[in-house]
Amino acid sequence: MTFKNKKQEREIRNRIKRSKGDLIFDVVNAVIMLMVAGIMLLPMVHVLSVSLSSGPESVKGGFFFWPKGEINFIGYETAFKDPLIMRSYLNSVIYAIGNVLFTLFFTSLTAYPLSISEFRLKKFVTIFLTITMFINGGLIPTYMLMRDIGLVNKIWVMMIPFCVGAYNVILFRTFFTNLPAALREAAIIDGAKEIQVFTKIYVPLSKAIFATIGLFTLVSKWNDWFTALIYLNDEKKYPMQMILRKILFNTAGTQKMSNEIMNMMSSMKVTSENIKMAAIIITILPVLCVYPFLQKYFVKGVFVGTVKG
Amino acid sequence: MKKTKQTAEVKIRKHKTTNSKLLSFFNDCKWQRQLIFMILPGIIIVFIFNYIPMYGALIAFEKYDSTKGIFGSEWVGLKYFSMFFSNPLAFRLIKNTFLLGFYSLLFGFPAPIILALLMDQIRRIRFKKVIQTISYFPHFISMVVVVGMIKEFFAADGLVNSLREYFGADVISFLTQPSWFRTIFVGSGIWQGIGWGTIIYLAALSNVDPQLNEAAAIDGANRWQKVLYISWPAILPTTTIMLIFAISGILGSDFQKVLLMYSPSTYSTSDIISTYVYREGIQGGRYEYTTAIGLLMNMVSCVLIITANKASRKLTENSLW
Repeated sequence: MTFKNKKQEREIRNRIKRSKGDLIFDVVNAVIMLMVAGIMLLPMVHVLSVSLSSGPESVKGGFFFWPKGEINFIGYETAFKDPLIMRSYLNSVIYAIGNVLFTLFFTSLTAYPLSISEFRLKKFVTIFLTITMFINGGLIPTYMLMRDIGLVNKIWVMMIPFCVGAYNVILFRTFFTNLPAALREAAIIDGAKEIQVFTKIYVPLSKAIFATIGLFTLVSKWNDWFTALIYLNDEKKYPMQMILRKILFNTAGTQKMSNEIMNMMSSMKVTSENIKMAAIIITILPVLCVYPFLQKYFVKGVFVGTVKG
Repeated sequence: MKKTKQTAEVKIRKHKTTNSKLLSFFNDCKWQRQLIFMILPGIIIVFIFNYIPMYGALIAFEKYDSTKGIFGSEWVGLKYFSMFFSNPLAFRLIKNTFLLGFYSLLFGFPAPIILALLMDQIRRIRFKKVIQTISYFPHFISMVVVVGMIKEFFAADGLVNSLREYFGADVISFLTQPSWFRTIFVGSGIWQGIGWGTIIYLAALSNVDPQLNEAAAIDGANRWQKVLYISWPAILPTTTIMLIFAISGILGSDFQKVLLMYSPSTYSTSDIISTYVYREGIQGGRYEYTTAIGLLMNMVSCVLIITANKASRKLTENSLW
């Protein structure tokens, strides 16, 4: 059955009578789906509610999904005033954007020649890249390499290593291969250099793949804490995730806060719970902002690999 | 090879019909050189960060002395490998790694399939889209936040315990009891991955011809029969491949999550090989020993993926290579 448009489709489908059993199933299914959606969202709602609750209420704990007591934003104010949090936030922005730029630049540049059928090194490079998908040196040899080339405790360690990965190269290459080859040939005949073909023809036509890989890399780098755990030891260079880990997982993080905050905390205007939960929300916020844009590329993104963090 | 040559010749002819053959050849080389220059930075990056550590893994077989380099150091054969197996912790580590992976697979693998089949039954497109969008979200939340929330919710005064108290149950300190570790790990893993996992199955289901379902309905098939005889066969090939690769990744439980979640009080169930490597290697500085363990893990997973690929090629005629 084919339909002219959605409206017609709905009309015709509604005319097909649903049996009683079908109807019950639909209702039960809808309830299950709502429950699933609830389970997905409620943890976040709870965190948000605690962050906005009044000081004394926030430490009591409990099962609630709406701010208790007077709504206050002191948790957020405190977090934004904290120099450690703000610096790490800025660091995270720099690392994420830097990593995206390096990734997009080098990956697309690597993929372009591979999309050209006459390229003589094509087979060699493809095998060279594929091997890395199955074999890796492991955690310790990688650490030793970073130490030997002097990347430990340098901000570059957050941006450059592994910026060219086999999966992303394959995605770019597939996209480039699907562009009409005649475009390139015509440009070459007109005397264009390869790099010009790439920057002037291929890049403008490949915005979709740049956006896909860029956004997924952005989120995965924003969520990355492990690289910093291993390679950075200067707190000033920590990304937000590391500071968040400190705030959430041990009290040493809260002790580091300024006297002013400690005074506020002792007067119960703001509690460590407020600050912890506010910090979580602040950390998720950028992902939430990118999410609507990400949505377009979900299906492609499955193949970008997992977003680790 | 022959084909490449031919196209290259065509290119040359297209290129410079007026110039001599030699000049054409020179031009041909030149455009290939441009491509080589473009690909070079990527190759160098991959070589440095992916290949040098593979070479560095050789220290697993030697008493490494950084002043002498990898080939100057004394070779000790399989000393570090046997050292691991004679370690009293080894059995516990292997067991924990295997069990954590096994339970994640057992509960985490069917979950997205069931959800995808249920989602596929939703008639209202908009409702379906909204549910999908919401269910994908946990996938994008960072591990630090997820584990932070777990620790908050399962703490003695957390969400879960206050709910238990409300129903009159005892307060359990979930986070310090080894017996709860796997349950919480696998459960939260499902929360994180179930929505995202449906994408691939929903893609397979969207390829089902709607006429099949309509014809079945006319023939009097009910919902359950339609799922069993239309939807399920449609996702079976995908499921097979996903299952085989999930099995091959059984040892690769999310090490970063374990590292954030575990504590010495739960080591008896939570300590896995990768976390042990992290503690002994990065924190303890026993590089050769932990590299050997890492190499062993890598070899096992390599064997698993090759076997998985073979099996998948035989069973479904789909394979990676």
